[in-house]
Amino acid sequence: MPSKFSFAFPRPNTRRILFFSSLAAVFVIPVALFGLLVVYLPFIQKDVFFTFVRETLHRDPDSWAGTQWLYGAALLVAGLLLFTFASVSGGIFSWYERRVAGRIQSRIGPNRVGAGGFFQWVADAVKLLFKEDLVPAEADSLLFRAAPYFVVAGMTLTLVALPFGQSVIVADLNVGIFYILAVTSLIVVGILLSGWSSNSKWALFGGMRSAAQVISYEVPSGLAIMTPVLMAGTLSMQGIIRAQGGWPWQWFISRNPAAFVAFFILFISQLAEANRTPFDLPEAESELVAGYMSEYSGFRFALYFLVEWANLWIISAIAVSLFLGGWQVPGLEDQDWAALRGAGSFPPVAWWFWQLLSVGVFAAKTMVLVTVVIWIRWTLPRIRVDQMMNLCWKYLVPAGFGAMLFTLLWQIAVSKARIVQDISGGVLFVLFVYAVFRFFVLTRKNISRVVGDRVDLTNW
Amino acid sequence: MPTSPSEYVGNIRDTVKSFWHGMSITLSQVLRRPITVQYPDRTSVPVQDLLPARYRGFLEVDAAICTGCQACERACPISCIQILLEKDAANPKQRVVSQFDIDEAKCMFCGLCVEPCPTGAIQHTREFEATQRSIRNLVFRWADPLHPFPVYKVQKDAPYFPRAPLGSLVREILSRRSWDANGPAYLPPEPLKPPPPPAPKPAAAAKPPAPAGAKPAAAATPAPKPAAAAAPPSADKPADPPPSPGSGEPKP
Amino acid sequence: MSKLVLRRIDRNNEEMLVNFGPQHPSTHGVLNFLVETDGEVMRRAIPDIGYLHRSLEKIGEIVGYPGYMPYTDRIDYLAAMFANEGYAIAVEKLIKVEVPKRAQYLRAISCELNRIASHLVSIGTMATDIGAVTPLVYALREREAINDLIEALCGARLTYNYHRIGGVAFDMPEGWRDKVLHFLERFESLIQEWDRLITWNEIYLKRLGGVAVITREQAIDYGLVGPNLRGSGVDWDVRRDVPYGAYPDFKFDVPVGRGWAGTVGDAFDRYYVRVLEMAQSCRIARQALEKLPDGETMAKVPRRIKPEAGEVMSRVESARGELAYYVVSDGTERAYRVRARTGSFLAMGIIEDISSGLMIADLIALIASLDVVAPETDR
Repeated sequence: MPSKFSFAFPRPNTRRILFFSSLAAVFVIPVALFGLLVVYLPFIQKDVFFTFVRETLHRDPDSWAGTQWLYGAALLVAGLLLFTFASVSGGIFSWYERRVAGRIQSRIGPNRVGAGGFFQWVADAVKLLFKEDLVPAEADSLLFRAAPYFVVAGMTLTLVALPFGQSVIVADLNVGIFYILAVTSLIVVGILLSGWSSNSKWALFGGMRSAAQVISYEVPSGLAIMTPVLMAGTLSMQGIIRAQGGWPWQWFISRNPAAFVAFFILFISQLAEANRTPFDLPEAESELVAGYMSEYSGFRFALYFLVEWANLWIISAIAVSLFLGGWQVPGLEDQDWAALRGAGSFPPVAWWFWQLLSVGVFAAKTMVLVTVVIWIRWTLPRIRVDQMMNLCWKYLVPAGFGAMLFTLLWQIAVSKARIVQDISGGVLFVLFVYAVFRFFVLTRKNISRVVGDRVDLTNW
Repeated sequence: MPTSPSEYVGNIRDTVKSFWHGMSITLSQVLRRPITVQYPDRTSVPVQDLLPARYRGFLEVDAAICTGCQACERACPISCIQILLEKDAANPKQRVVSQFDIDEAKCMFCGLCVEPCPTGAIQHTREFEATQRSIRNLVFRWADPLHPFPVYKVQKDAPYFPRAPLGSLVREILSRRSWDANGPAYLPPEPLKPPPPPAPKPAAAAKPPAPAGAKPAAAATPAPKPAAAAAPPSADKPADPPPSPGSGEPKP
Repeated sequence: MSKLVLRRIDRNNEEMLVNFGPQHPSTHGVLNFLVETDGEVMRRAIPDIGYLHRSLEKIGEIVGYPGYMPYTDRIDYLAAMFANEGYAIAVEKLIKVEVPKRAQYLRAISCELNRIASHLVSIGTMATDIGAVTPLVYALREREAINDLIEALCGARLTYNYHRIGGVAFDMPEGWRDKVLHFLERFESLIQEWDRLITWNEIYLKRLGGVAVITREQAIDYGLVGPNLRGSGVDWDVRRDVPYGAYPDFKFDVPVGRGWAGTVGDAFDRYYVRVLEMAQSCRIARQALEKLPDGETMAKVPRRIKPEAGEVMSRVESARGELAYYVVSDGTERAYRVRARTGSFLAMGIIEDISSGLMIADLIALIASLDVVAPETDR
């Protein structure tokens, strides 16, 4: 007897087309986005750009008036590219999170809309676009409408200074990390505005909690960031990454025991800034339904969620750049990069390949951290407001200060004897590998401890 | 709040240890097989076959072995079974069942009707997929008022009672009409008759004529004689108001 | 009630009156709480019940004694076996019928399986309210296994209608016993995993330890029952102290709150008592399966049940505490009065007094730890 619901599913031949096309999309879309970034962003670095003006447009870049305008236009295009990248990657992370969360919870995630459910986020975004644009009658309508844009601005502005690859960055500000920290605070402005202007008690709760949380956790964040800044001697993101190496024992996290502690402080603080569990009190689903987002619907709601998922990428990217070596490819030093660049005014073709590799290294490390963030979200419960404050001011801030002081002394020691950081690198790396090994042994034992369970990767 | 350095360090140590165990457990779940069964289209066998034999799904009556004892009707706490027994017009000694309606929308699938049945004519099947657009189409009519079935005579020492395969009759009814068929159409109210002389006849048995008249057999047969079906049971009644509740028409 | 509260609130402009429910992910069922709060710290939370009232007790006066059994399922649909059993015991006392041993054992097995299922829902939803969503899915996964077992036994997954007046409806199907034993073995190892995942998680301990403490005296004064009572340190279990059915034949421990997270009677104690009770239920079910005697599953009960006029009270230890039935018969086929005294109704009564000074997050922990469910509260 034919299934009653057969009208809901496509017929076999269209299904196949959709399946393969969406499978292609799974790989093509991220690669295309990254590829665009890789190809375009190095062009707007100062040296390449000036060479382009000098040789292709036959003008002297330093004296020509149009340099500024052209550069401005190029930056605008870069901004659009980056915003597209952030939006699309936000959507892709939502898919990734749902699949990973499903697997953690003994179930399959979305798997019907496209191959592996990959177009689920597209379907959700389109659906949200079609929803009614609701502004509550009692709400302060100007602030209500403006609040999501503060949040989006706070997220997008940080992308300007994120180093995706060796030369793949929009603007290598010399106050890079300081700028990023400052600009992410716009998010809390948006959250407070949305909570307040919704004119709803539950939304207000969420906004207040979030303000307290984000503002408090800026402090340990900043303290933890001091450690790699002190070790590198510069606030510039590219500078901090260049001070590290490609191999794991050359990363800042291994080179300094205090940096190891500072990494965790930064990680926890950034989780709190991004409103992720265990710090998701502002949007605690079981308490406030959606907290500061309760009154939002349609595209504005989509913007909040977009920011949440794009923020995943950003906080992981910051942690990777500061502590885990960023885009440094194992085996390549500074002089190797300079040699690959060559002396000519325009970089050779092989250079682009190495750029792509560095972007790939960065993306892989960031994806690992993103997976860890998702994993934490689906394992840990939520902590209460006062406990969160307690954690921040009594545990993280003193530890941050301690790490900074230790780093000051460490840097003095390193300047006297460079071997110290290599020893530390080796020891911490070995300890880390050992810990990971023990962790996987424990994971395997978990499965064998339960009667009737075994490792089984079927049922996708 | 920690009151001593050892408690402070102990907090950190407990946190790390408990997170270590918790995270390893969730990671290990990623490596185990999800338990999702992708109903309805990606199961290995039809879902009905995965259900146990005692599953209490939709009720099914095999009219061939129904003895017309009405034990199921009495046992049902919600009164969702309605049975009407009559004497066969051709053979007054034979009793026939002219109405056996089960309102599956009211049924709570408790199984109390199955137990007292002497032959096992009424059973719970394993069918549960019977969504209908109109709730009135969930009334399963196991007897046709125009062709009432004779009651079954139980042999004293019969080893078993021959019954149709469980579920086949329900599936047959469900396949006969589509799920989005309209509900039964109501008759327009009968033209108002002059008020009856004040005879003290109680308007008893308003129940049997009401369902048979108000809900003509829309599903099974296209027999369009609901008025005729309503006529025989209520032939000798004074002109009651038309059997749709809440009609509330004032008498002239 | 709400008008009174509003008037008092309006004079004092600093406090908000927030409606927590009745549609809310964390109130277990349709329950409403009127919360007076000043920021995070509440002054009071007044429970407002009745959204799921279905007149079940009145229906007892309309349908006959055997016909009421499916309705008892709905008094607490998460722990339906106990409601069935309580009513069956009450009516059996009225008509003075003795239940065969095998039926009593089967009742005990099905009840203990149901206790595990109900506690799984309770601790799973508690973890979700505290913030961790995955333990709920693990709990429901195990509950699916129990649902499948009971489905094979009696045909339904939630509203079982398995017990009858005089015994049980069906005997075990073939192969069921091995399936249950296999499940119990697996489940005991899973309780260990559950403990490591969520029970001893530092955040969980901090969220529940010392929160919403109910002292011994308070618990007894307010009439709490079941895990709520035992979590506050009172060692009382109807199965052991007022034994009924087959329970005298079984050996089991009764977990009592000991202040594992700091204070006796806090939310963690009530939670952990439920976890330990699940392990004890496995033990009881295993003993019952091993010692299962042969015999009838149903006593000889008249077709129409018409007890003599009188009244009777029966108590069973349900998953949510002591479920007591008070049945009054006036000699006819229909009861004169059926009253079910449920544990959740009593637990709702203590919420208002305990809630002053708690934070909103703690209110959620309190409600979840008391394991109140709307069907039991409203009937």
